[in-house]
Amino acid sequence: MSAEIIIPGELDDSLDPTQHDVRPQRRRALTQGRGLVGLVLVGIVVVLGFAAPLLAPYSPNEQIPGANLLGPSSTHWLGTDEVNRDVFSRMVHGIRVDLLVVFLAVPLGAILGSLVGLVTSWWRITDVLTQRVFDVILAFPSLILAIALSAFLGPGLWTVVIVIVAAELPVFGRLVRTSLRTVREMPFVEAAEVVGAGPLWVLRRHVLPNSLEPLTIQLAVSMSVAVFIEGAMSFLGLGVRPPAASLGSLIRDGVRTMYDAPYFAVGPLLVVVALVLGLLLISQALAESRRA
Amino acid sequence: MARYLLKRLPSTLVVLLAASFLIFVMIRLVPGDPVTALAGPDATEEARAAIRADLGLDRPVLTQYVVWLGQVLTLDLGRSYRLGGQVSDLLATGAANTLVLTITALLLATAIALVASTVGVIADKKWLNAILSAINTVAVAVPTFVTGLVMVLLFAVLLPILPAGGTPPAGYLARIDITVQYLLLPAVCLALPASAALTRFLTESLRTQLRQPYVMTARALGIPRRRIVLTQALRNALPSALTVLGIQFGTLLGGAVLVEAIFSWPGLGRLIEQGISARDYPVVQVLLLLSVAVFVLTQLVTDVLHAALDPRVRLAGSTPGGK
Amino acid sequence: MTANRTDLTLLRRGAAVLLTAALVTGCSSAVADQRNGGFSSGGGEQILHIGSTNDIVPGTVFTNSSDTTNTLIGSVYDSLVDYPLDSLDAQPSLATSWDVAKDGTSITLDLRDDVSFHSGREFTSKDVEFSIRTWADPVWTVQLQRTAAAVTDFDTSDPHRITLGFDHPLSNILDLLDMVPIIDSESFDQLKTGEAYVGTGPFVFESWTPNAKVELSANEDYWGGAPGVDGIEVSVISDPQAQVSALRSGQVDLVTGASNRDLATLAEDDKYTVSQSDYGQQVYVGADLANPALKDVRLRQAVAYSLDRERILDEVYQGAGVTTSIPWAETSPAYDEELAHHYDLDAAKAKSLLAEVGDVGTLPLSYPAGNANYEATAQIVQANLEATGIRTELKPVEFTQFIKQLIAGEFGGLWILQHSYAQYTPSTLAVSAYPFNADKNASHFVDDDYKAHADGAWTRASGVDEGAVKLYGELNKDLIDNAFLLEIAILKGQVATSDKVGGEFTWSKRGELQLDDVTLGG
Repeated sequence: MSAEIIIPGELDDSLDPTQHDVRPQRRRALTQGRGLVGLVLVGIVVVLGFAAPLLAPYSPNEQIPGANLLGPSSTHWLGTDEVNRDVFSRMVHGIRVDLLVVFLAVPLGAILGSLVGLVTSWWRITDVLTQRVFDVILAFPSLILAIALSAFLGPGLWTVVIVIVAAELPVFGRLVRTSLRTVREMPFVEAAEVVGAGPLWVLRRHVLPNSLEPLTIQLAVSMSVAVFIEGAMSFLGLGVRPPAASLGSLIRDGVRTMYDAPYFAVGPLLVVVALVLGLLLISQALAESRRA
Repeated sequence: MARYLLKRLPSTLVVLLAASFLIFVMIRLVPGDPVTALAGPDATEEARAAIRADLGLDRPVLTQYVVWLGQVLTLDLGRSYRLGGQVSDLLATGAANTLVLTITALLLATAIALVASTVGVIADKKWLNAILSAINTVAVAVPTFVTGLVMVLLFAVLLPILPAGGTPPAGYLARIDITVQYLLLPAVCLALPASAALTRFLTESLRTQLRQPYVMTARALGIPRRRIVLTQALRNALPSALTVLGIQFGTLLGGAVLVEAIFSWPGLGRLIEQGISARDYPVVQVLLLLSVAVFVLTQLVTDVLHAALDPRVRLAGSTPGGK
Repeated sequence: MTANRTDLTLLRRGAAVLLTAALVTGCSSAVADQRNGGFSSGGGEQILHIGSTNDIVPGTVFTNSSDTTNTLIGSVYDSLVDYPLDSLDAQPSLATSWDVAKDGTSITLDLRDDVSFHSGREFTSKDVEFSIRTWADPVWTVQLQRTAAAVTDFDTSDPHRITLGFDHPLSNILDLLDMVPIIDSESFDQLKTGEAYVGTGPFVFESWTPNAKVELSANEDYWGGAPGVDGIEVSVISDPQAQVSALRSGQVDLVTGASNRDLATLAEDDKYTVSQSDYGQQVYVGADLANPALKDVRLRQAVAYSLDRERILDEVYQGAGVTTSIPWAETSPAYDEELAHHYDLDAAKAKSLLAEVGDVGTLPLSYPAGNANYEATAQIVQANLEATGIRTELKPVEFTQFIKQLIAGEFGGLWILQHSYAQYTPSTLAVSAYPFNADKNASHFVDDDYKAHADGAWTRASGVDEGAVKLYGELNKDLIDNAFLLEIAILKGQVATSDKVGGEFTWSKRGELQLDDVTLGG
């Protein structure tokens, strides 16, 4: 997973403190090429999720008498599961869980991480301490962290959210810290501090505008990682609690009936791939437009 | 370099010590304990007390920690509660299996990356690069459990030509051709994301190399682009690629947890899953500490190498900017 | 020059590709190899390969806690007597005959004089004493520990005859003698660590590789005749699906942990046979009276009437079992046909009982996480209760933690789990199965009558005579009226075998596979 984490150094060599307004460029990045593909993929999944109540022919937890593990048909587009529920209805509702994880947990982790990074890196002692704590957190592979945490909290949606927040916090903390250090070492900021500019001024005028871009890119990367973590946790039985469905739990259910109903897992698998791929393409497009 | 190492060593040790204490306390805070896990639902209170004393869990936590730390420092890892065997034996078997898988995946990833990046750079065709980059993105994007499941579904269920999981029954060395078949699916599954990251990195550095003056000179002398890439550029790009490879190795070890679960591969990932579910403290403690140690040491080695290459870092020593 | 080099490189590359292709496809396929049993049966040895879900846990090797342990104990050890599957009429094994004293406080057994341990040492009455004393040691947490501990006097003056004296009459003493494996005292320290298991049984323990496999070889000198195969290799395959794959690919000949759905699929295939044991575990819904709503017996009865047992049995367990409302098998002296159907699905009764109770809020419904059967059962139970008007919240609890909550009685609502002993003397269940323990149980159900009936059934000379049956009637009334444990079904143990496996294939009453008469054909 950390393969996809952007190494801050790579981004910072192009940092230019005078270039504050980069929005037009970003917009362009998402209206053409891979950015557009990514946006469309994510868009489709988001629409499926939001329109779930309209699209789903059944309630996601409704147990239909006699419909035990049926194959795909005109009444059940993706068949039914072990407990007689319509898989398609569960899938579109399951997307909502993943959207919640993606658009709630990751930004939460990002905000907390950025705040911690900002505040602690101002002083030497807190900076060193925080970095060591981050070291310890990052030292645990996120799945092992997930297994350990869910042994504490029991499986459930909030466990997934907490794991993702815990895994993303240090990533963003590091990122903001690096931006901050780079900016503070710049001659005009040093000069400004000498003539009495406060931390807030430096933050507002220089640090934030310059961190925004790498943060956005990391956000997209982290969101795709979050879909992955949700899927992996549910796959290992640490995710949402039944009868609720998530993409990961649907895939796990599908795998259980792999020999009888290989088609069961296909729908959720496709959605996961679309979501992860879309988010990654967006992040790549953003990173590219920035480098250009 | 030795001085830099000396400066960095204390903080590394502090991280390890803090992590060991954290692990020790945390795992004991997890609800459910090894005694109930062992004794089962029908055991009497007397039976549980007897087991608790047998495992030494009736002593104060701090005493237990100090005893454990002493054991770890003398490389005596104790016995597993659940399996009864020596933790070091379990660890050795698990580590061997995980390493075989991880190293195979790493070699596979390296091979794929070398071929893909050099072919892409040498050919330098727009369409080829587009295809390579698309494959690359997909390889990074598709989660391991998805590739794993799809491969099991395709090659073991629908078209049963490869084993769905497990290790070669007669051992790795008995029949190499059998071993290859057992390793193929899990190794490919594990290697894909790593190979994508490596390819991206290698392609980038090869391109950078090609912009260097010596390449211009060589080109002017009429040496074909392919030769330059395969000899000079590749040689210059490889050292930094090795660093990325090192980082990838750590990532692969982490990713092995899931791949081992999908392919029922009896490695460290499975050991830790079983250990946690049985509250097998001696096993889990050591495994968690090991994963922290691997991470911290990889970081240390990377930093030291970085320092060896960049005199500014070496001179600055442990200033926060030097990390 | 350049052209030549390119040709050479091309040639080299082509050779490499061909070589790889040969390695992968040309030589031999692992799948095909497994199918022919190719690699492990070198020298024409007939080795039975078994795929098993859970590994041996040396500390709990006597608790029947895993399928591998069951196979190990069943193959390596003998017990003094053996129960037939369909009754409690014990048959001779290491003991040839026995006599229970009139007052029920002692039993004298004659032992076989032609039996020796795998180590070569002769089997004597001292070994019986050692084995029972080991069972009485709480550290082993065996299921009949209380019964074993009630055996306090051992007369071993004759090496081939033993008299056991009890604190009080034990109606289930033969249950104990059926369950206790006769172990070797000399190798006991190795048994504790899993290094050696020395018994008198049809197979000899060779080696155990933790997390991987157990190897047994045939005991050619077995007093009951040499087994039909040369050895057994049990591989630990924790994933049920991987077990089925291993069976399909021929890697193993027998699997003990396939899912019910996979077993149903395999049963339709000519190449495989699915065999059912008569008794497995019993799945039930427990009710914790510590929950104020569940303290009302009418709500518990409403829950009992709401359960769609047939659907759970059919859809989750693929029909492999019998639905019931009482914890006894049909062969048990306590079985009562009418009571077994007492709580059959009755929506109207459930609703009217609930109407009397009124609104009960949302009840937590816990079950062990990560188990597909429990998860499906829990979701059906939730839908059943919803239909009656009882709301529940599903709580998957990790197994270790679940057991802890069970012992501490911390569920605070409903829970789903399994218990055993349906097929034994009824007092064994009442005394040994924790959910039924009259002194302290997970339901917080305390009742003087129940306790008196349970103790009465245990401390009498016979567990099957008329007086005993009368007591079981009282016990049944306690269980049905108070409805603190709502049975769903008695499940059957199932294994699937490939068509290579032939010969007699049976289970013991303990649920252990009896593999001595199994053969391997082409």
